Amino acid sequence: MSDGHDTRGAGGALRTSLYIHVPFCVLKCAYCSFHSGPVSLEPGVGEHFSWAVAESVAHWAELGVLDDVVSVYIGGGTPTTIGEPLVRLVERIVNAARLAPGAEVTVETNPDTTDPALTERLVNVGVNRFSVGVQSFDDEVLRTLGRCHTATSAVRAIGDLTASGVRVALDIMCGVPGQTGESWNLTLEHVLDAGVGHVSVYPLTLEEGTLLADSVRTGAMGGLDDDLAAEMMERASEVLSRGGLERYEVASYARPGDESVHNRGYWTGRPYVGVGPSAASMLPADLFDSAISCEAWNDPGVAGVGNTVGRVPEGTTRVRFVRAADTSGFLRRPVGPPDEVEYLSVAQAAAEDAMLGLRLAEGIPQSLAESAGALGALADLARRGLVEQSDDRWRVTRAGWLLGNEVFEAVWLAGARRGLA
Amino acid sequence: MQFLSTQLWCPSTQWGADEPAKSSTPLSSAEEGTGDASVSVRADVLIPAHGAPCYTFADMSQASHIRNFSIIAHIDHGKSTLADRVLELTHTVADRDMVEQVLDSMDIERERGITIKAQAVRVLYTAADGETYQLNLIDTPGHVDFTYEVSRSLQACEGVLLVVDAAQGVEAQTVANAMMAMNAGLEIIPLINKIDLPAAEPERVRHEIEEGLAIPADEAVLTSGKTGEGVREALEAVIARIPAPEGDPEAPLKALIFDSYFDTYRGVVALVRIVDGSVSRGMKVRMMATNTVTDVEEVGVRRPANMPVETLSFGEVGYLITGLKDPALVKVGDTVTLAKHGAIEPLPGYREVKPMVFTGLFPIDGDQYPDLRDALDKLQLNDPALIYEPESSHALGFGFRVGFLGLLHMEVVKERLEREFDLDLLATAPSVEYHVYTTAGDEVIVHSPQDMPETGVIERVEEPYLRATVLVPPDYVGAVMELAESRRATFKDMQYLSATTVEMHYDIPLSELIMDFFDQLKSRTRGYASLDYEYIGYRVSKLVKLDILLAGKVVDALSFIVHRDKAYQRGRVLTEKLREIIPRQMFEVPIQAAIGGKVLARETVRAKRKDVLAKCYGGDITRKRKLLEKQKKGKKRMKNVGNVEVPQDAFMAILKVDE
Repeated sequence: MSDGHDTRGAGGALRTSLYIHVPFCVLKCAYCSFHSGPVSLEPGVGEHFSWAVAESVAHWAELGVLDDVVSVYIGGGTPTTIGEPLVRLVERIVNAARLAPGAEVTVETNPDTTDPALTERLVNVGVNRFSVGVQSFDDEVLRTLGRCHTATSAVRAIGDLTASGVRVALDIMCGVPGQTGESWNLTLEHVLDAGVGHVSVYPLTLEEGTLLADSVRTGAMGGLDDDLAAEMMERASEVLSRGGLERYEVASYARPGDESVHNRGYWTGRPYVGVGPSAASMLPADLFDSAISCEAWNDPGVAGVGNTVGRVPEGTTRVRFVRAADTSGFLRRPVGPPDEVEYLSVAQAAAEDAMLGLRLAEGIPQSLAESAGALGALADLARRGLVEQSDDRWRVTRAGWLLGNEVFEAVWLAGARRGLA
Repeated sequence: MQFLSTQLWCPSTQWGADEPAKSSTPLSSAEEGTGDASVSVRADVLIPAHGAPCYTFADMSQASHIRNFSIIAHIDHGKSTLADRVLELTHTVADRDMVEQVLDSMDIERERGITIKAQAVRVLYTAADGETYQLNLIDTPGHVDFTYEVSRSLQACEGVLLVVDAAQGVEAQTVANAMMAMNAGLEIIPLINKIDLPAAEPERVRHEIEEGLAIPADEAVLTSGKTGEGVREALEAVIARIPAPEGDPEAPLKALIFDSYFDTYRGVVALVRIVDGSVSRGMKVRMMATNTVTDVEEVGVRRPANMPVETLSFGEVGYLITGLKDPALVKVGDTVTLAKHGAIEPLPGYREVKPMVFTGLFPIDGDQYPDLRDALDKLQLNDPALIYEPESSHALGFGFRVGFLGLLHMEVVKERLEREFDLDLLATAPSVEYHVYTTAGDEVIVHSPQDMPETGVIERVEEPYLRATVLVPPDYVGAVMELAESRRATFKDMQYLSATTVEMHYDIPLSELIMDFFDQLKSRTRGYASLDYEYIGYRVSKLVKLDILLAGKVVDALSFIVHRDKAYQRGRVLTEKLREIIPRQMFEVPIQAAIGGKVLARETVRAKRKDVLAKCYGGDITRKRKLLEKQKKGKKRMKNVGNVEVPQDAFMAILKVDE
């Protein structure tokens, strides 16, 4: 790939990531716009879902895109909500796909659905990392966000997870209406005390159609204060790096070596397969050419992706496609056609790699900036103090972290314009 | 109903066999290529073997059987619905083609429920006396912006139906339109309309008409446009009370052009009232004011689609097509006469329409400038009141300074340009025509704040004033006075039209009236007040140009002219407003209001500190890109002024400066 990311492993197999979307949770949070909903847990739904995932993963494995999987991420929703069927889901995936040695296998969880017995069973089938949606260690803030757990239960859950020896990552949120600087400091201290290796810091965004957006619109809740959120992001950067957690991406902090292998893939152009409702996949276009000869790709009975991504236009280097956000549709037809397909040209793929690569502290090499056609845009951004160049790489500055959209937009539009020309 | 009592031979056609074929096929307007009303006309049509059909109205064309009248009213009192009922009662429009507001053919008229363009239609009505009459009805706009349309229509009539809403009673344009009819010496028949409404109070309204307008109302006709009640009585009153037209059939042709429109295929179509003589197809005629000689290609009547006839005789109302394509040669108000041995004296015309309100119209996408020019050219063909000249702005690029009759006219034109010509336009705050006298003794006409001379060379500035008439229930007199005072209006007098209606008169600068005055009046009087105004002339005022600076640079398109005593307050409110409208940018943006170099008010849009999508994983990437592309579109709707991105709303903010 354009940034030199190695998409083929030693054996020549395509090096990929696998994402599983589990659209269930205990209760939808006030800010959440993801495809997920409370499980009424009709008996059997979890098991049914687990089977559907297995069928889809088997399909992809058959097509040879899961022969060198460096990371598996089971997200949602809250995967642990479904309990025991999740264990079988992981088991089935691990058996169907070929995981690279030391592959990262992450399960997303919440404090109130984390239970030591389940954790142990998951670890036994291969899970080696948990990402916990803590959001805050302030119960007031948790209530605003519509979370089901408390600070106390979060501390207990994190303790249980670290005790089991797995890698633990936490998500926390700033810029929440009513959240004070003091509350934020307290949350950051708790994060350091927890001794975890990875933290994601997200400023709250209002997504249309969420409970929170409605409360803000009707005036029931104060609006978001971007200045305050900016201060909190800066504060997090200081406190966490002092505690040994280095910022390696806009929102991601890790102890050296504890960066998320899976997430890095999204920012470095690594191909990925997404399974489940609303999941996105991105695969090299040549795969679809060679796959014409592979029966399963075009078997109308399977309705596999091969004959539903359509004719790949000339000049396409990558295809990205997304399944519909439709859980019952997925359950009926795990290997169903995608809802949306995108064909990326060489220029667009480079522009996208450059845009996403600039999210990382390591930035992008001059060669990628060039192939993305972004040199002019980057020079302009450098004049505005948002990026800087050294050692033949472009990186965002401290101001650039906060105004990332300015950087991403300029770089993407520069590349996209070129792609159209 | 027997439409044709006499059949005229059409010279250009030959009838087949012995009998002309007769049918009552609806004649759709589309066949005529006018496209101005999607209705069919029911008429007995003589279909010749070859050639065009020909229609005659011989009996009813005798002047004694003609009645020409307008329907006039305050806006929303139900004129157009009444006109619909008249068309139904007289079977002018086939039932299946009946839509609401038949005569309002523009989409925008139907959507807003208003009439913009006057419409003439001929109907045939068999009266109680057994005779069939030719009625020429002219539906007129009620909004004050289009008063000139009413005044033109009245020239073609001997009488009017003055429609008054049975619940609303006499309102400002009722008074204004009634005065116009009286001054024109027309017979006025009051109609108390909407009597089906629960809130109808015909007796009170009758009293208001008598007290307020000094029109005897004991014979007012009670009507309901909704149910059709009283419509027949109204037509009987028209026949009994409105005089038949007078004129000299033997004198040379004199026809008054009272309106015109442009037809892509036929050129300019003139609506005419024949005053003396007659006009037929094939005649050579002369437009007296422009001294243009041309052939008459077609004469006809509107039912409401165009229907050709052989001849229009004195007293009749109809249309005339000459094949002239240049609207400037067929002027509304001009007299048509014979090319040879024509009339010596033209009919008295009426004053040219003068635009009162000016605004800059700029294409958001600079490449659309030629499209905007073409669109204005085309609209002007049917709207002589529209004038424009090129204007350029540092902030907005190339556009036009466009003159309008008023704010509604401006809104309607902008909407039509955007809708019918697919343009994205930005309008600057409306202005009026200022007369600036310099110390050097020159007079400078200023339509745009940009053209205002330097303060140092100004001797005095004059601005247009209006006499405003406000009708309001007594409880709201205080509210009106308060508003008027805040708008530099001078109180003239007030009188009780009735126990429930007070008529107040003010002299007010037009520039104040166009600043949200009507909305304010309505909201402060809970919608009860009605407003009318007329131009009374120019008066000296202490006016200054207030500049708005963004990031230290004057934005020409945001400058405006204001009374010196109000400059500080307007400047302060406007800078506050702009602070809310202008989004945070990458850098701090100071907003200043200044006269000359003197800063009166200052606000700051703080620099944007955070704008980042923190979560960006698999599926988010597509979403993120879509967002970027959407933002780009949103930014296209912004104007880059220097390096500040300014949303369109900013340029209209001055209009909404509440006090």
